[in-house]
Amino acid sequence: MKPCYFCLLFLLLVSLSACEKNEMADTERTLYLRHKGADMPIWVRGNLASNKLVLFLHGGPGDCAMCYRHYLKGLEKDVAVAYWDQRIAGSSSGKVDVKTLNYAQFGEDAYYVVKLLKEQYPNTRIYLLAHSFGVELAWQFLTTGDNQKMVSGLMAVNGTFSTFRWLVQMREWILREARLQNRTEIEKYAQENPVTRENLGTYKWPELYKRMLDLGGNPVSIYDDKSFVLNYLFASPNTALAQFSHPEAYTDYGDHEIRTYEKGPLLKNIEIPVALFWGKKDGVVPIEIGYETRDLLSKTVPAFVTFEQSHHEPFITETDRFVAEVLKFVR
Amino acid sequence: MKSALCRVAGFLLMGCLTAQAQQLRVAYFGETVTHYGLKVAYEYPLISRVKSSNNARKEFLITPGLAVYNHPHNHVGVVFSPELAYQRTGRRGGVFEVGLSNSYLRYFLAGQTFEVGENGAFRRVRMAGRGAYLPTVSVGFGRDLSVRHNRSLAWYARLNLMQQRPYNASQLYRFGIECGIRKPLKRK
Repeated sequence: MKPCYFCLLFLLLVSLSACEKNEMADTERTLYLRHKGADMPIWVRGNLASNKLVLFLHGGPGDCAMCYRHYLKGLEKDVAVAYWDQRIAGSSSGKVDVKTLNYAQFGEDAYYVVKLLKEQYPNTRIYLLAHSFGVELAWQFLTTGDNQKMVSGLMAVNGTFSTFRWLVQMREWILREARLQNRTEIEKYAQENPVTRENLGTYKWPELYKRMLDLGGNPVSIYDDKSFVLNYLFASPNTALAQFSHPEAYTDYGDHEIRTYEKGPLLKNIEIPVALFWGKKDGVVPIEIGYETRDLLSKTVPAFVTFEQSHHEPFITETDRFVAEVLKFVR
Repeated sequence: MKSALCRVAGFLLMGCLTAQAQQLRVAYFGETVTHYGLKVAYEYPLISRVKSSNNARKEFLITPGLAVYNHPHNHVGVVFSPELAYQRTGRRGGVFEVGLSNSYLRYFLAGQTFEVGENGAFRRVRMAGRGAYLPTVSVGFGRDLSVRHNRSLAWYARLNLMQQRPYNASQLYRFGIECGIRKPLKRK
């Protein structure tokens, strides 16, 4: 009997001490931002002595940040990385009203995350590394008030500045690929369903999106990467099953909010350094959106980095080069 | 209504008075092997019957329990589970059980929490966390070593399916594994 009790006591002591041990290290700090019902984790990892911190703005909406640490860990030797899970995303918890799932609120959350990081790490330069929906969030944040003065730069990865331009370019991509692959039924659908400013409010964009995926617009799935899955389930702080509970909260966002997103006319006000990282094969947010973004940024000279072998997530498919390009930008 | 309540209370009281095999459970409790914790529960038989044909013992139990687990860098959870369970112990000591519980989860965020105040300034929240309703269904198996080995001890393992409500704007399903021992407080 006694050995059993000792084993259980040992497990208890280990479990109580594990958290404390990691909290003590500067580079392994967990913060939470509580705002409007949401408890949003911000995991800060890596080299804080560099005085440079990359804030990762994940995609989705409803995706996760810490889950991608598996691919971004290479940054942590040189800089610190803050992985922030947005409201109703990743491991964020709380009691959140779905009405707060709008761009203004996401931008406000980003403002407080950056403000909190600046207060916690006062001598540190903050760079945004935004992917997909995270890019929309980044433009929302940067084009509001003087927010851009709070950060030292933006790296935008395969994300748009405008829902209308996104759909126009996705449809163009579908038409090109459908012709190349001789998929006449998809080509016919895209031809019969043009995207206009007038029909944007009612356009069945999920139908277009589905056809883009049918044409191989983004065949990469993180769940095919066994080491990612094992890490996600057992070695990361993610709430594993939470990812399955989030999508239903975004119904209204997908039906209405997404259609209102337009930051194109405001990009001319951006003065901070910007780099545009693009997976060239991406059908989700085609590279033409990257070119349009570059042309709209008239007050800064954005660097444009193309990842030839990548689709929507170049940090998954060309990890080493992606890490090198991020480090090059922040240096 | 009153008489029905009295009857139920009387029935429960009779069960408690006649039942003998109160037990203590001590178990590993966690979502996975990396989200580890400890559970302690007190097992109180309400009804206990032994079938004469095969010596199988069937019991309805009330099992109030308390579990603490650590999801590193995420949260520390405390689960209070007033469970109602059905347990069958075969003549060779094999145990099968199912349980239902209206559990309550109180979790504490595993990090420094800052709340945005009305003026936009941050306020540090100590012991930040929330409470949640955690209805749970459990299925388990084990072996009562007193049946064939004459040791007043049993081991068991069970899977708990839990639904955390509220979680953000909806609910969150959680799995919990539980492996431990059951020690009679009174000799049967």
